Amino acid sequence: MLPDTIHKLPREERFAYARLLAYMARIDNELTVDEMAMFEQRLGTALLSPGQRESIRAALKNPPSLEECLEELSGEAGRLALRDAVMMAAADGTVDEDERDALEDISEHLGLKEEAVEQLLNWTVKGYKWMKEGYELLDTLEE
Amino acid sequence: MFPDGMIHRSSQDRMRYAQVLVYIAAADGALVREEIAMIEAMMGKAMMHPESRITVRSGFEQPIPLEQSLADLEPEFAQIMLRDAALVAAVDGAYDRKELTALRKIAKVAKVSPNQLSDLLDWVVEGWNWFEKGTDILVK
Repeated sequence: MLPDTIHKLPREERFAYARLLAYMARIDNELTVDEMAMFEQRLGTALLSPGQRESIRAALKNPPSLEECLEELSGEAGRLALRDAVMMAAADGTVDEDERDALEDISEHLGLKEEAVEQLLNWTVKGYKWMKEGYELLDTLEE
Repeated sequence: MFPDGMIHRSSQDRMRYAQVLVYIAAADGALVREEIAMIEAMMGKAMMHPESRITVRSGFEQPIPLEQSLADLEPEFAQIMLRDAALVAAVDGAYDRKELTALRKIAKVAKVSPNQLSDLLDWVVEGWNWFEKGTDILVK
């Protein structure tokens, strides 16, 4: 929700980014409302065309394989996709084994350091705390 | 950045929410791509209907007056709007005078004092700092 660079990527890379998130959203064959809200939020940030959004939503019904997603992902789009895949995986409160394995595969594909996923998970937890602090701040705003 | 229950609001509430964000983004002039991306993200987070989003986008060039969107708004909902409006206003760098004026108007409806608004703006900065750390992790 904060200033990001996804919208600066070429259109094809933004599409590949969103496709990976669609894969992650369906990895455990469940799509919670929170995961869907997170997914839609990231689609919004990517500024996809209406046609691309339709394709991505269709990918939610028939998700591509991870290999297909990774073939099209590299560089910055891949790194941002991994970051946001971690946030999406954590959106329902837990990261299950399938999700964790996929995240590690993506990280390896991108050539990131071995501890990158663990660090991103810890970073996500801190982000949730920041968001919670925002709620608490709102709770105390009543004069 | 994270799911926040906006999806449970009525479609009318979500429309007003998005219209306020558009007003804030446009307060300092024409919308830049960063602001549009942020508004699209907020509409996505709220899971607004595609047709409602088209209506919101039609206000990019001529936003709905803030007073109209804030009319008869319950303070609790105005607080959520204020939080996300502060995030949108910050997206292009520093807070512009017109953005601050608009934030103060929302704060008034939300029953938020100037000091409390200042705390909220500090919270936005903390969020920026947190977000940037995510990019550091992605370095090979």
